[in-house]
Amino acid sequence: MNLTEDQIERYSRQIILDNVGGKGQEKLLQSRILIIGAGGLGSPAAFYLAAAGAGNLGIIDGDEVDLSNLQRQILHSTDDVGRAKVDSAKETLEKLNPDINIITYNKRVNAQNISSIISEYDFIIDGTDNFGAKFLINDACVLNKKPYSHGGILRFHGQTITHVPGSACYRCLFETLPPKGAVPSCSEAGVLGVVAGFLGTLQASEAMKYILKTGELLTDSLFYFDILNTEFRLLKIKRNKNCPVCGDNPSISKLEEKNYEQPVCDLKQQR
Amino acid sequence: MEIKIKLFASLTKNRFIEEIRRYEEGTNVKTVIEDINIPENEVFIIFVNNIHAGKDYLLKDGDTLALFPPSGGG
Repeated sequence: MNLTEDQIERYSRQIILDNVGGKGQEKLLQSRILIIGAGGLGSPAAFYLAAAGAGNLGIIDGDEVDLSNLQRQILHSTDDVGRAKVDSAKETLEKLNPDINIITYNKRVNAQNISSIISEYDFIIDGTDNFGAKFLINDACVLNKKPYSHGGILRFHGQTITHVPGSACYRCLFETLPPKGAVPSCSEAGVLGVVAGFLGTLQASEAMKYILKTGELLTDSLFYFDILNTEFRLLKIKRNKNCPVCGDNPSISKLEEKNYEQPVCDLKQQR
Repeated sequence: MEIKIKLFASLTKNRFIEEIRRYEEGTNVKTVIEDINIPENEVFIIFVNNIHAGKDYLLKDGDTLALFPPSGGG
């Protein structure tokens, strides 16, 4: 493909980077990146990828915009409250950059639909807000040999890992889902909007580096940060030979919904 | 043996950021987590000398143990 004059002007500040150039910009425009969750992490990730000319951006989310989302989910505005998040996201991103194609899925990922959806994409960004979805995305990406960026945030801290086929995965660190109620969610424990912004942009940069085949990916590493105490840590991780999904003798070979439901730790909660 | 313990994010609340404690040879990570009074399900990531480890990992003199809480939001 040849870049148009408008494209050369629009993307000029990154085209002049050695690691991007005209060829890299063409790769970005031809790339297919899927963002799962148009919330705190998905918003900044989608914003910067759209701005950078990531040509085919998939966005999947089954929720509607709530007033309490707006403190951090910057794709959506006050007038969008009550709208489907994917519609609000598409409108915002098209306004920013009409040069790209936004594909929306107004649904949640589950064990049945995830493999066919991710098969259409080069790189996946996990911007979901619960452990069930995070484990599902990990297992689906490992089993389907798809590179992806894991991200998780809470309060003032967050973590991210990039997985490519053969590298350590999320389950290498955490073999099973924590029991329901054992770990608070953002709605229970709170989260500062900038924490989502910081981590979501890191996830977008991982997607761009993967597409551009430049720099060092966050593979076999865990980046952990706590903005309250200004702690930033990059820790080495190794693929776990006993990992239930990417290990030498994996026990998970297909996706089953029951594996992504969090066990209830407090029986009283079942009522 | 001496173990350097580093806590992160919300685990530091009412505890400490970094402390050196003495344990008997053969102490595992789980025992240390109990000793510093962290409910087991609040620890999600364990690193020993910057390499991830499980709760049954047997610590050695001079090891640095880092414990992180979970972050499941988005």
